[in-house]
Amino acid sequence: MTSIAIVGAGPSGCYTAQALAKALPDARIDLIDRLPVPYGLIRYGVAPDHQGTKAVIRQFERLFTRNDVAFFGNVTLGADLTLEDLRASHEAVVLATGLHTDRRLGIAGEDLPGVIGSGVVTRGWNDYPDAERPQIGPRVVIVGNGNVAVDLLRILAKAPAEFDGSDFAPESGAALMAAGVTRIDVVGRSGAGMAKFDPVMLRELGRLAQASLHVHGATGEGKVIEALQAIDVHRPEGATREVHFHFGWTPEDIEGRACVEAVRFRASNGEGALHLPCDTVLTAIGFDGETAQADGDGRIAEGLYATGWYRRGPRGTIPENRADAQAVAARIAADLAQATSDKPGRAALTAGLPEAVGYDGWRRIDAAECAACPPDRARRKIATRAEMLTLARQSEDR
Amino acid sequence: MQIHILYGTETGNAEMLAEDISDHLSEHAPEVTNLEDFDPADFDTGTFYLVVTSTYGDGELPASAQPFAEKMASQAPDLSGIRFAVFGMGDSEYPETFNFGGKRLEEMLTGAGAELVGERVTHDASGSDMADDLALPWVDALLAEGVA
Ligand SMILES: Cc1cc2nc3c(=O)[nH]c(=O)nc-3n(C[C@H](O)[C@H](O)[C@H](O)COP(=O)(O)OP(=O)(O)OC[C@H]3O[C@@H](n4cnc5c(N)ncnc54)[C@H](O)[C@@H]3O)c2cc1C
Ligand SMILES: Cc1cc2nc3c(=O)[nH]c(=O)nc-3n(C[C@H](O)[C@H](O)[C@H](O)COP(=O)(O)O)c2cc1C
Repeated sequence: MTSIAIVGAGPSGCYTAQALAKALPDARIDLIDRLPVPYGLIRYGVAPDHQGTKAVIRQFERLFTRNDVAFFGNVTLGADLTLEDLRASHEAVVLATGLHTDRRLGIAGEDLPGVIGSGVVTRGWNDYPDAERPQIGPRVVIVGNGNVAVDLLRILAKAPAEFDGSDFAPESGAALMAAGVTRIDVVGRSGAGMAKFDPVMLRELGRLAQASLHVHGATGEGKVIEALQAIDVHRPEGATREVHFHFGWTPEDIEGRACVEAVRFRASNGEGALHLPCDTVLTAIGFDGETAQADGDGRIAEGLYATGWYRRGPRGTIPENRADAQAVAARIAADLAQATSDKPGRAALTAGLPEAVGYDGWRRIDAAECAACPPDRARRKIATRAEMLTLARQSEDR
Repeated sequence: MQIHILYGTETGNAEMLAEDISDHLSEHAPEVTNLEDFDPADFDTGTFYLVVTSTYGDGELPASAQPFAEKMASQAPDLSGIRFAVFGMGDSEYPETFNFGGKRLEEMLTGAGAELVGERVTHDASGSDMADDLALPWVDALLAEGVA
């Protein structure tokens, strides 16, 4: 039997397992993640009010219930397990560990309290284990012109009732209400025509109940500009928050003594300056970190592969990771056709990792999250690793 | 009559549903094909088509259905005598373009002369129904009407 280990149970790892289970029905696949729960950024990145996007999880549940795919959660490659061990125990190892560190602006004032990266904020709002809820003030500047910036602004701009059906923790909602956000400025370095917003995400903003939308300097043509112009008229009666979009401004420095007080921008091409007083700066300019030295098919070395954000860098949405995972899986299947398969595989993991959380453990966490769910929410996430581990280790008959 | 399931997908939900429908209809031994691998010239009047597709972008077809749409446009086939039913997948988070993918394929096929059997079904990824719970009774009802 061929044993394949995939490190990282985010969408890339799960789609790789799905494609491998199809291509190599006799292979035994082990999905390893440092968290006690699977699904990576589908659970901890995709916005809590986008449950439809999270529904791909239903495909991945099949892997564990119908295919010979096992989950080893609470296992960190590099701490609980070395890559050498894993390569020794499995015929193929796929690294799908993603990228998690917020890219830095590289300007003065960036380390002032009140400046927070989008990864930190979204982990807080998605109840990532032991993550802190972000401290937000009334005036927020968001730096960045991609879909994550839109996620941030939408969450900040929503009224409590607009979180119905989401899995946004009631405490996070209460903290936002207490923050009393009144103004959100979203600033991009390039012109509106170059902004990486998905038009459909912009249009969604046109339904916000409490926020008026103001677009500055979106001239030109294209779908993004059309969408920006279409929402520029959104002025609901009694709006309590103003959202302003600005284009073509490069951040110069963040001002403040004990905490952030303002951001200064200069025009990206030409003369001019923009000075935005604020209490909070959220950066949404992408993610950073080491990526794999892999070839076009995702092969790093014999029996070692990479896929997803770890292979390509922090770009691309779930569909692109699916295509990438399918390509890597096809390559692995071709390579393994000639390989001998006599390695211990799962038995080695089971013996060496007594602290691992299996799929049954995750099912107990999942059941507890659904059981504790308030009526206006989709689930109530367990927010600490300790509590997850306690639930995962409860015996079935309790 | 032969049954052929055609699916258009981007993140795999429609593909999984197509496979589930195929398993459910195993005694009819249906064929299952990704729309990106299907040529309109291969439509056959002796076959009943179950079309499953999601919606992307601003109400567009998912990536895997786009090559098919391009071939339909360039070949302009005459599909009279072809019968089909549509199961659309979408998300009510996109209310202006909810389930436009299924709607587009329906219009494309009826526009070429094919006959829609029954009403197009619309699944909502943000709703509480699992796609299977809507789709399997739907195919059972189609079969009870004697489509295949
Ligand atoms: C805030 C945010 C919102 C997003 N919203 C959307 C959206 O709405 N729609 C969309 O299509 N895309 C969205 N994306 C993009 C999408 O999340 C990514 O394209 C995708 O998650 C990348 O998949 P991945 O599997 O490569 O990485 P990840 O999802 O990050 O998965 C990597 C996994 O590896 C694990 N891991 C890391 N290191 C180790 C280690 N040493 N040992 C063991 N396990 C490890 C991690 O715990 C994690 O589970 C969003 C991204 C972000 C950041
Ligand atoms: C970027 C994006 C855009 C979408 N656009 C629409 C849309 O315009 N209308 C709709 O009904 N659903 C839309 N959807 C929802 C998908 O059609 C739905 O999630 C479906 O289940 C996906 O199926 P698939 O995995 O087979 O592609 C969109 C989803 C995403 C991620």
